[in-house]
Order: sequence, then structure tokens, then C-alpha cells
Amino acid sequence: MANTKTDEKLQKIAKDLLESGEVSLVIGYAKGSNLQRMRPVFITKAEDAGKLSFNPHAVQDLAVFLKKPEVKKFGKIGIVVKGCDEKAVNALIQEYQISRDNIKIIGMECNGVIRQSLADKGETNLSESAVYDKCLICEEHIPVLYDFLIESEEPKLVLSGNVKPYSGIEKLESMSAEEKNAFWAKEFDKCIKCYACRQACPLCYCSRCIVEKNMPQWIDTNSEETGNAQWNLIRAYHLSGRCIGCGECERACPVNIPLMLINEKMAKDVYNMFGYKSGLDINAKPVFGVFSESDFNDFIK
Amino acid sequence: MSRIGVFVCWCGSNIAGTVDVEKVREEAAKIPGVVSALDYKYMCSDPGQNSLRNIIKEKNLTGIVLAACSPHMHENTFRKAAAKEGLNPYFVEIANIREQVSWVHEDKERATAKAVDLMKMMVEKVKRDRPIEDVRVPLNKKALVIGGGIAGIQAALDIANGGVEVILVEKEPSIGGRMIQLDETFPTLDCSSCIMTPKMVEANQHPNIKLYTYSEVEDISGYIGNFKVKIKKKARSVVEKDCTGCGECWNACPMHKNVKSEFNVNLSERTAIYVPFPQAVPLVPVLDRSVCLHFKKGGKCQKCYDACGPKCINFDLQDEIIEETVGAIVASTGYDLMDTSMYGEYGYGKYKDVISGLQFERLLSASGPTEGLIKRPSDGKTPQTIVFVQCVGSRDPEKGVPYCSKVCCMYTAKHAKLFAHKVHGSQSYVFYIDIRSTSKGYEEFVRGTMEQDGAIYLRGRVSKIYEDEGKLIVKGADTLSGNQVEIAADMVVLATGVIPKKGSDKLAQMLGISYDKYGFFTESHPKLRPAESSTAGIFLAGMAQGPRDIPESVVSGSAAASKILGLFSKNEYEVEGTIANVNEATCVACFYCQRVCAYNAISKKEIKDRSGKLIKVVANVNPGLCTGCGACVNACFSKSIDVKGFMDDQIYAEIKALAV
Repeated sequence: MANTKTDEKLQKIAKDLLESGEVSLVIGYAKGSNLQRMRPVFITKAEDAGKLSFNPHAVQDLAVFLKKPEVKKFGKIGIVVKGCDEKAVNALIQEYQISRDNIKIIGMECNGVIRQSLADKGETNLSESAVYDKCLICEEHIPVLYDFLIESEEPKLVLSGNVKPYSGIEKLESMSAEEKNAFWAKEFDKCIKCYACRQACPLCYCSRCIVEKNMPQWIDTNSEETGNAQWNLIRAYHLSGRCIGCGECERACPVNIPLMLINEKMAKDVYNMFGYKSGLDINAKPVFGVFSESDFNDFIK
Repeated sequence: MSRIGVFVCWCGSNIAGTVDVEKVREEAAKIPGVVSALDYKYMCSDPGQNSLRNIIKEKNLTGIVLAACSPHMHENTFRKAAAKEGLNPYFVEIANIREQVSWVHEDKERATAKAVDLMKMMVEKVKRDRPIEDVRVPLNKKALVIGGGIAGIQAALDIANGGVEVILVEKEPSIGGRMIQLDETFPTLDCSSCIMTPKMVEANQHPNIKLYTYSEVEDISGYIGNFKVKIKKKARSVVEKDCTGCGECWNACPMHKNVKSEFNVNLSERTAIYVPFPQAVPLVPVLDRSVCLHFKKGGKCQKCYDACGPKCINFDLQDEIIEETVGAIVASTGYDLMDTSMYGEYGYGKYKDVISGLQFERLLSASGPTEGLIKRPSDGKTPQTIVFVQCVGSRDPEKGVPYCSKVCCMYTAKHAKLFAHKVHGSQSYVFYIDIRSTSKGYEEFVRGTMEQDGAIYLRGRVSKIYEDEGKLIVKGADTLSGNQVEIAADMVVLATGVIPKKGSDKLAQMLGISYDKYGFFTESHPKLRPAESSTAGIFLAGMAQGPRDIPESVVSGSAAASKILGLFSKNEYEVEGTIANVNEATCVACFYCQRVCAYNAISKKEIKDRSGKLIKVVANVNPGLCTGCGACVNACFSKSIDVKGFMDDQIYAEIKALAV
């Protein structure tokens, strides 16, 4: 398939960045093995910039690669990001994992990406029922921070309101504690402890994850009830106030645990309690790194 | 293999009354690794400690557990005892079965079960103790005293006389604080200036004291032994070293009717270039740029400059930042008087002759606006009848503060006494709630005011004060006779409550010391460490800690000084080794630990290879600042920080001990 205008703009920016030496690596998307799949590509030579492409199948959050040592060693890096993914870049800067000076952000205006499961069945049209829930609540169609912005050729997503994103949260909130426990026990029962959720997450960057700490072994490693609950709850807790909602954990989960339900619920609670949304400001102090006298404290009895 | 000794203390009947100590001892003996278990009436006593030491020696113990009182009480005692037998002192663990068990439970069986559990946890913990070395921090033997009132001056002089350099910082143009505003002082009626000015002069001339007046502490960082201090020396517009204090400048200043004198509590005026009072130390004027015509009218007026012989007035002087490194700090910022505007019924601010106690001090003072003659601010007439109202703001949780301001009973008695001495045939009335006169000579002093000087004391509150035909009508209750009283007075003096100096909360935040809900600095321990703040190396003195009188302020200044001299008697300061420790191999440098650290103890550390190439950045703990509070441990996602003595595996083992 021929290059779109978007692709051409993208390729030009990457080519210029690599030629001028402003970056030594551009992380972006290239066309995949079929038309409905995009795959990540790592461009180090200007002449390879032609591989870059972008369309509503560019599902993956490429910011995940910024945490890899083999990527970090390139020093100055350019990265192609959608609005959601870009928030991960901001969070990484906030948490000192990358320096703003070392990254060139190629922001893509994005009106939504098509669910991989539907795309694999041939879906190519952006529609309310085809995109991920995160796209329906998206407030960053244009990334909040970028060095280059490429506007979208896609039509804006029309929202009828018939599809309710993250509707599970309301259901959860109406449940009793026992019902919630039972609900999650059933979901976590499926977990096989593959840690794909962690590997796909741009903000799970610890070189030694808490589950790998074995003196003592706080979290049971076997995949049964206790260990599964421990892992999933600690993962969610470590991302509360940090998760930027890209949804990669849930997409990576081979047993379809609704991880975004718990992530979004945490994000909602953090916003309600502290007025904080993650990944919007590289200079903001992360909510769990600050104490304010006005923080609610009615939990102290 | 661990060889643990468990020692169960009865604490007389304090523990043994509620906990079956023998049962605790029997259970201890069953735990693998416990080679000795003992119960004894008072473990902290000499025989108790001796048996502990003997058993350490005989059984070659590798760790000991004391099931006893809170570690706050005797952890140190037992650590020292263990150290004498060659055991690392951190191999001593305390199971608190007094404060956490016997004092808070009644059911002996269940209390005993809990005591056994706590003891078991500590046995598992002590098995996993590692030797810890205390941290030694080098000391910069120089002190900073913030606030040059009587407490600060006393502290500075005592430290300086001990041979240590002191930097004394005072916000106002002169040192002397509140005390120099007072007239005679209770209970001996020494003239405040007479006893205070020699101290002020001594502080100014002392070779070990560097005085910064009209200066404020702008920033403080660092830790005990090594505080970095930034002092802002405000632009005085006068070159201090050239000024002779002759007074030509303030005599020449045309602004002599417009500015209220802060020193005389608004009872007189001052010029734009001024010294607050004639005995000011240093006797160097300050030019108040907010009112000076030179600054307000674009440089036209320079009468002071023209009048100045040595030409030491410099309109271009700027604020100056001075940086100093000190090893210890005294915070003695003093107090303000409460704003009494919430007592509208007393008419302060509305009626000129309703004044505060501090204003009355200025009227009494020979250096005051009336040269020591008691005159009404309204018409300059000598009052014949004065009503004194005590507890204005103090002991009034609804409108003011619940605490007692402590000095008002005594200074009111003094005011009534001095009024009787200065205006013969006059009459004073004192409305009081209780009379608090507990120090040496105080009760006799108050008695004297009543009996020899004829002051009439009325127990009750004043409900209203209003003006009528040149008199102030004071309506109040005399609760002892049950009558309502009405007094036609010429003047009313309100014994206004004291509050911490404005801005002292900001200073406390800068220093990292705690303060109570009113803003008074809190002591490390209210009884046993009254001169220490919650932060090592920072000491407290004077009214900044709470209401107190001059002798107490002097004592607290000396106490702070002696603490500092004691600290400086060594070259290093020992900090408990139970501080945070970073696992550099697993730290990913997210610095949440740094964000949550209340002590600024965490910094970034670069790890480089031999060629100097940066390998990674990790968190680094400053042992001088870290208090081992553990906030960083909670914040660390990858569990790359532990607190020594409270290691992850120890906590885990403690929990496991309960599960068995």
C-alpha cells in the first residue's frame, strides 16, 4: 500500500532527525504482516525512514521501549506517539527515567485506534464500536507535549453515547465488598503469572520487580489464589496515580483479565481524592510522592 | 547457630500484675535458638543488668530479647549493657509488654498470650540482626542563634564564653527583643534596661559573637554538624562600620510625625531613618525605605545624607546574602501579642485610653514616650483610676487561645504596684480569673500589690467597656461577692495573651522542626529534653517554645547553650546506625524516596566505571540527615531501600512468627 500524506510527513521528520544527528534512533510503526497490523520499527539510518507509517491500527504504546537498556544506550531518541502513549513519555520524564533533552517527540494526532481483535477479523473503519474504550474517553487526541505534530487525515470519531466506556466500573462500585472480592477472585484465578502485563507497561520499569525479590519472598510466585491476588493487587497499586491508561497490559494479557477496569478505577479514585491525573505535566509532582496538609485524612479513626 | 537469651521483666507489678511472666519465660525457652530464658523483677536495676551480662558471657549469647517496657525507656540501657560484654548493641531487641500489653489490657490470660506473641516476634527478629555501626558525623564547631531577645542573647553569650563562635541573627534593627521594651521587672523591680543593656553590649563586643541585626535567615539546609545557612542582611542604607551613632541623620529627617514607633507600640512617632531606642545595639540607624522621601519622591530628599558627618549613608545599598556553615542552631524567635480585635466589647483601638500591657510598659519606662510619667494617650492627663483586665485572649478557647500566657498575672501585679508608686493616691482594680504566681518571690509580690499598694482584685470577667463623659466605664462581674460592678476608670490596661512570633511557623518548616497548633516550637521530649527540638542539632530557647518569664527564658537560653557546648566537646557526632540503606544494584532512580523524605536525606548519586563513564544513577542516603523513619521504604516500588535494624527479612520473620 502506498504512503499516505501522514506517512510522508512522518518519514521526512525522522529522516531529518537522523541525518542531522539530533537523534540516533527513531522508534515508530511500520506496516505489519497484514494490512490490519502495525509493528514497531527501530530506525537508525536515515535511508530506512521510509519504513515508517501510521494509521488507526497503530495500537501499541511504543513508550514501553524507552525503559529498555538496549534502547537507552542510543542516547538521543525520537519516538512516534499517540496522545495516550505520549503521557507515558511524560510520566517517564517526571520519574527521571528519561531526560526531556534526550527525546524528540513526534506526536500523532489520533482519533482512535481499532481494537486488535476486530482488526484481525478485517475491521478497518474507525467507529465508536470498533475502537478501544480509552479512545472513547480520550482527551488527548493531540498529544499534550511534542516536538513535531502530524495532524490526522482520519475523520473525527462520532460518539453517539450508545457505547459506554469502562461501564464495568459502575457495576463494580455498586457491588458489596464480598461481591467485589468474588468478582476479582474469579478474574485473578485465570492469571498464569506470565507478567506480560508488566512487560507491556511503559511505567513498569523496575529492573528488579517486587515479585522477583525473594529474600523474603513477599509475593508467592506460583499461580494460585494467594499469589495471583497479591501480584495483581500490587501491580495495580504500584500503578495507581501513575497509570496513563494506554491499555497495553490488558491487551497483552493472554487470559483476558480486565486489568483496565482496575487501572481506570484507581485513576478515577486518585482524581476524585487528589485532583491529579497522571502524565499531563512533566513538572508535576507524582501524587504518591507528595504530602499536602489538605490531603483527605478521614481514614484515620 | 543463634544463641538467644530472653529476659522477661516484671517491672514490679507493672507487668507481672497483668502478664503471667513465668509463662512468657517458659514459652521463650521452647523456641529453637533460645538458650537462656529468665524472668526478673526489675531488669533495668543493677542486679538485673548484671545477670543479663553474666548470661551473655556464660552462654556466649548472639542476641538478646527483653520483654519489658517501651524501647524509649531502656533500649539504650540494655544496649550499653550488651556492648560491655562485647555484643554489638544492635543485637538487643525489646518486646514492649508494658505499654503495649500490661498497661492496656485487663484479661491476664489474653494479655499473656499477646506478650508471648510479641516476645516470639522479637526472637525471630533478633536471629536476623546484623551488626550495625553508629554513624559519625563531623561537626562544624560554630553555632547560629536565631533571635536576639534575652533567651537568644543568653544562649549566644554562654556559647561564646565556652569558646565557640556564634552567629546571632536578629530581624529588628537592634537586639534586645521584648525585654528591652519592658520597664521594671517582677518580682525584684530591677529596671529592665539596667540589666539588659550590659548583656546587649557584651554580645555586640564579644570576640566570639558575630552579630547580624536587621537580618533574617533566608534558607537552611544540611544537618547536625553541617547546616548551611543563608542570612539576608537587609539593606540598612547606612554603612555600619563608619557610623558613629551621633544622631544627626534622624534629627535632620523631615519625616518625624508620620510613622508610628514600633518600639513604643504606636505610642509615639519615629523618623524614616531611626534607631528604635536610644540604647539600641548596634547604635546604627536603619533607613525605612517604605516611608523615606528619598525613595518615595525619586531621590529629592537627602537631608540625612547632608547632615551625616562621616557620610556613611548610602541610598544604593542592597540586600546582601551571607552564607555560613554551622554545626548547631538555637531557635529563639520570641513572641508577639495577640490581636485583641475580637474583643470588641473592650474597645481596644476604639478608645485611646484602652491600651495593652506592653503599651503600659512603655508609659512606665523612663526611655518611653512620656519619659516614665503615666499619662493618658488621649489627653496626656495623669490617670487616677486604672482598671487592669487579665486573661485577654488567654484561657479563652472560644475567642482566644486555651493556654495560660503565664506572665500576665505577674506583670499586671507589677503594673498596679508601679502605678501606686508613681501616682500617689491613685486606685487600681484588677479583674482576674485565677492568680498564678508560683515562682520564687512571686506570691509575696502579688500579696504586696494587694495589701501594701492597695490594688483591688476582683475575680471575674469584664463584660463591657464604654466611654462616658471622659471616663471609661468598665462593667464586670465580681464572682466572689456575686455582684455586678461598674467602675469609672481613666485608663484600662488589657493583659493581652502571647502568641508565637509571626513567621515562626515558616522558620520551623525551614528548619524542619515541629511546632504545636499555636505555632510554638515543640520539644523533643516535654520533660526530659526540653532544650532540644525534634531535629538533631537544633535547640530551642525562650518564648518561642511557649509562654515563660524572663528567668525561665534565661535558663532555657543557657540550657540550649550547654547542650551545644556538650555537643561540640567532641569532634564528631554519633548518629544511631538504624538508617536507610539503598540497594544500588536494584535501584532504578525513580526518586520517589527523595520526594517523600521529610529530612532531605536523599540525593542522587552517580555510579561511574573506572574510566569515569556513567553507569547509572541511584539514590543515596545522607547518614547525618536520615532519621530511619522508613518513609522511603514504603515509597520504593522495587523494594530497593531498607532501614538497617528493620530489614525486610526481619519484618517478614516477625510476621511469620505470629502465623505459626
